[in-house]
Amino acid sequence: MKIAVSAAGDLLDDQVDDRFGRCPFFVFVDSETMTSEAVANPGAEAMGGAATRAAQVLAENNADVVLTGSVGPNAERNLKALGVEVVTDVSGTTVKEAVSNFLDKK
Amino acid sequence: MKELVIVSGKGGTGKTTLTASFAALSYDKVMADCDVDAADLHLLLKPNILKTEKFISSQVAVIDQESCLACDICRDVCRFDAISEDYVVNPMDCEGCRLCERMCPIEVIHMEKQENGKWHIADTEFGPMVFAQLGVAEENSGQLVSLVRKEAQKLAKEKNLNYIIIDGPPGVGCPVNSAITGAQLAIIVTEPTMSGIHDLKRILELTKQFRVPALVVVNKFDLNLENTREIKSYCKKQQVELIGEIPFDSSVIEALKAGEIVVRFSGDGKISEIVTDIWKRVFDRLQAI
Repeated sequence: MKIAVSAAGDLLDDQVDDRFGRCPFFVFVDSETMTSEAVANPGAEAMGGAATRAAQVLAENNADVVLTGSVGPNAERNLKALGVEVVTDVSGTTVKEAVSNFLDKK
Repeated sequence: MKELVIVSGKGGTGKTTLTASFAALSYDKVMADCDVDAADLHLLLKPNILKTEKFISSQVAVIDQESCLACDICRDVCRFDAISEDYVVNPMDCEGCRLCERMCPIEVIHMEKQENGKWHIADTEFGPMVFAQLGVAEENSGQLVSLVRKEAQKLAKEKNLNYIIIDGPPGVGCPVNSAITGAQLAIIVTEPTMSGIHDLKRILELTKQFRVPALVVVNKFDLNLENTREIKSYCKKQQVELIGEIPFDSSVIEALKAGEIVVRFSGDGKISEIVTDIWKRVFDRLQAI
């Protein structure tokens, strides 16, 4: 499974950013190999439609689930259409902790 | 650090008037004006600007005049009629959609970032403040709101302040999403009119979507008691607390005409008392979160 996390930086030890559309990075973690890769979020620099661009990045990178603070109405609709599961209320931890908390609950 | 955001759904309900009063009544905070389309909190808080930065965001098309073959394709496809007969792009009309750049057969159109406005860090009598001012015909964006909030957070950290009070934009669009997300508490200011009720419902949906707890204030509630009753029953149904009702009072208009903050303007002190009481309750809720 590929887990995306909205993040303040591009490393596993960076903090989760609780904004979905305008977080600077998405860190993608493969739950089988536990390898990770970061992609800059073009939504962060967009005047409008930030969440749509962010959702596109998730789709392009084949994310199955995204861990974030909260999502707006457009983001929710887009992610649903793309089949990406949304887990909200994730904040105040590092990317690594967020992923392991998520996997523990599974 | 906790962020309180004041929004309204409908514009002109008294959001900034109330925000300015909250600024005068509170300590330990940074003020952030995110209502950038009509930034006016500074008129009441009278900031002393310490630092100004350019805000560069949108892009406009630029045509390389020397290489242009005058084929007219860009002029045909532009939906905003932004390109003149001599192939000059009017930056006021260009929406930055990039269609001309894409369609130009010899690729001599490129996009250039342009300055949309400025943002400032300032000192006020009531503590530090971050606000932005847009250039002519520029519009507020979620990006600019996000920037103002980030700078306010930095400033609060630097100065060891625990709260941020955000004057949010009206409506339920992109800048409002950007102002609400991640805040700990939202105050929704509404008025007892049909559009006030309609827009209250829309903004409540949005705060719910972002899981931001909301409190409602009805301004000028006595101008239409029937509509105020409808607001009350709606809030009750939605399990949203109606935390204050402010009556219509000409002293508010007098205060604004004089460029003064309502709670500091003498009058008979009735409105001042009510607003102070609302702030106390809001602050209690904020501390409890």
